[in-house]
Amino acid sequence: MTSYSKEVIRDLAAGQLPWPQTRRIMSAYKDDDRFFKMVAVYQDRVAWKDPILLPVSDHLFICQSGDERITRCECGHSFGDYRKNWKLNAAIHVRNTEEALREIYPNSDLPDPEWMEIREFICPECGTLHEVEAAAPGYPIVHDFEPDLEGFYREWLGKPLQET
Amino acid sequence: MLDKPASALRLRERLLDSERLMEETGCYDGITELTLRNQDPLKFETLHTKLRAYCVSAREMARRISASPGVREVGEMVVAIYTPEGDAIALSNGIMVHVHTMSRFIKWMIKNNYEDNPRIREGDIFANNDAFIGTVQVPDVMDVVPIFHEGTLVGWAGAVCHELEAGGITPGGDVCLAQERFTEGLFVCAEKIGENDEIRRDYVIRCERNLRMPIYWVLDEKAKVASCIDMRESVKQLISEIGLDYWMKVSKEFIEEGRRAQLARTRQLTVPGIYRGHTFYGHVTAGKPGFQLLGDPDWLYNIPIEMEITTDGKITMDFEGTQPWGYHSMNCTPAGMDGGMFVTLTQHMNFEGLVNDGAWMATELKLPYGTWTNPDNEMVATATSWALLLPAYGVFQRLLSRSFVARGFVEEAFVGQVNSPMIEMGGESQYGTPFGMAHFECAAAGSGALAIKDGLDTAYVGWNPESDMGNIEIWEQSMPMVYIGRSIVPNSGGAGKYRGGCSFVSTWLINKTSHLRLHTSEHSSRVFDNGGMCGGYPAPTCQKHRAVRNSNIHELAAKGEPLAHAPGIDPHVSDYERNIGGDHVVVEGPYITSPHKSGDIFSHSYNGGGGYGDVLERDPIKTAWDVENGFLTRQAAGQVFGIVLKDDEDGYPIADIDATVERRAAMRKERLAKAIPVADWIAKERGRVEKADFAPEVKKMYASAIKLSSRFTRDFSDFWNVDAKSIFTPGAKP
Repeated sequence: MTSYSKEVIRDLAAGQLPWPQTRRIMSAYKDDDRFFKMVAVYQDRVAWKDPILLPVSDHLFICQSGDERITRCECGHSFGDYRKNWKLNAAIHVRNTEEALREIYPNSDLPDPEWMEIREFICPECGTLHEVEAAAPGYPIVHDFEPDLEGFYREWLGKPLQET
Repeated sequence: MLDKPASALRLRERLLDSERLMEETGCYDGITELTLRNQDPLKFETLHTKLRAYCVSAREMARRISASPGVREVGEMVVAIYTPEGDAIALSNGIMVHVHTMSRFIKWMIKNNYEDNPRIREGDIFANNDAFIGTVQVPDVMDVVPIFHEGTLVGWAGAVCHELEAGGITPGGDVCLAQERFTEGLFVCAEKIGENDEIRRDYVIRCERNLRMPIYWVLDEKAKVASCIDMRESVKQLISEIGLDYWMKVSKEFIEEGRRAQLARTRQLTVPGIYRGHTFYGHVTAGKPGFQLLGDPDWLYNIPIEMEITTDGKITMDFEGTQPWGYHSMNCTPAGMDGGMFVTLTQHMNFEGLVNDGAWMATELKLPYGTWTNPDNEMVATATSWALLLPAYGVFQRLLSRSFVARGFVEEAFVGQVNSPMIEMGGESQYGTPFGMAHFECAAAGSGALAIKDGLDTAYVGWNPESDMGNIEIWEQSMPMVYIGRSIVPNSGGAGKYRGGCSFVSTWLINKTSHLRLHTSEHSSRVFDNGGMCGGYPAPTCQKHRAVRNSNIHELAAKGEPLAHAPGIDPHVSDYERNIGGDHVVVEGPYITSPHKSGDIFSHSYNGGGGYGDVLERDPIKTAWDVENGFLTRQAAGQVFGIVLKDDEDGYPIADIDATVERRAAMRKERLAKAIPVADWIAKERGRVEKADFAPEVKKMYASAIKLSSRFTRDFSDFWNVDAKSIFTPGAKP
């Protein structure tokens, strides 16, 4: 079975593994122990103790916090129950003017702000930009991901989660 | 007449029987046990490898027969081997989108009783480019030949080439002016075009008299037939070695194994759950010549996608909430949607070689009837269906990538493909002859970023994993234009911790012609049709076209004055305007104008991919390298990424790490100061929604989505706590 050390997985996640080695990992059969190894890498990265159950973005994790399962920023900020859309508890900055769009696209033609805006979803505590939506004005905020957490742990990982 | 079927059943009955068995058992053709694989796995794997080798070899041989730079240079071709019922067993590399569309074509012939008329006989050649039968767009012309073994039909060999000229209302194949089927070009609707391994002369005459550049199409036909015959003879030889019974069983076990392998890969690489995303497409044609007033000239499409992965490993993609079909060329058929799904799967989950129609069988598409994904009118045009397919399957790639990130396979996460506009042309060639063609350098756009590195620069498109822009000298042989510039477009990748791949811009001098029609298609104007991921930004929208009519370039060259070889980095004034005299033209969206002539200049930009991660985490040292090499501007490095650059002693940019840390801390504070709680934003925006205070195209988009989808209506109403129907479709029945 293919398997890599935790250090290799850490460097891979950080984008610091040399490309030839990364390429070999991409071409090889997948390592079946990856998930828990990657969770361990993320767990080392955060300062808080809640066990990570699932990474959902670059710096967002679902974790077990007491009896609750919440979406948590790497900085520790809680976005609430993981089944709810974390974006609704974020801070938002909307770029819907030419001036605001030009800040991100200084040398290109721009979209028409009457047709499209950019919504930046930001951690209100550390200021990390977690997600960017490009949407028509008035478009509902999208709930990106509703994982079947229980099914995943029970049926695919063979390690059912404790009931809460 | 098919006189000796492999079973007592005729093909149509065999096909229906196979579908019934799948329905009853959940397994392809009722194969609940992989008996042959279990008996001798090595023989099983070796045989599939042989079949794949037949396909790869046949395609490479055919590319050397083709005269078209699209096929020869860029590889716009794929071949595959099928079961008698039309399910793909093995395929080549290339434009794999068509492996399953050809499957639909074969099944369509079987279901329409081609066994009786026009009959299916050894040596017959059948062709099709009708998307409602099984292809994506008119230029995708497919040929299939039956494989007989001692009088029994035991399979099919098929090949597709993308033709550079299809004889539509505008030259090329992605006919931008097509607003209904009748202007798309030459249709071949599941026709028998040859017998006894020979293409019929009357069919060739029809092609010669209905195409602007028949040499491409006709020689591609010969290339495709040659590849089909090559595969057919290889399969017949194989059957003589392994026996007919073994072949009939093993070919189907390969597909069932492919289905199981897809389910297993999904369980291995992803996380079950529901994933959502969306993209948009803006089309602007108001005031442009040639467009009939059949519908609104300008429109905005939303493309929401909900992907469900169940714990058995099945992936379902649901397009509910998207827009109706329209009087434009960007509609798609279920065959095209299938093809988009298939080619995406082959790149992201099934790259090990043992891939076939089984992978497609482990997925499901929900395509709402009446939308652009599944039109309820077969008169609609699909000539540029890639315009909507590419953004849609870019979303699919981001949804899949979210699941890879969640599972820990960050190296597989990929922000996705982009829609990269295409140039087509016709008129008088540099040789003084009539001509027409599509320019396929668009097949090398920038890719989306990965979760661990930047996207590919000028090296990726979704429809062909072998993306290639072709050779400038070859393109120049084919058109009355010479390159005076081809360069990276700075900042064309979306910003992020890892930026999207950059694209390029070409600039041409029109040469040795008095009549060159230049047209472009697949432009998403006014909106982003791609996205970023995990904090990354979308790549810029499709850029405007810039041309100079009656330029003074020859005078400038004679004097040794500086020219302009690219538009430059000032979005308000191009370098053409600064350096070259003449009548300057700037056009948004499709480029449809009066013919050009020698001495004019034309430029065209392709698109880059979306970014991944927070821009403030981008590596300053890599950014300095990007600035030095023209992938990012110095302005963007500071303003977007917060990276302070200084010059080394030779004048090259290097990162000032301390100053960067300081600037980024300030930018983070500024970011927080500008942001407001989402709840406050929703409360404020709700007033605008209630008043429908939006541009007409936005309001129309909502009204159309609400009319077609009760789920979209409910989701919209619930989110804003409004009655969406009464706001956007007043007077409609509740």
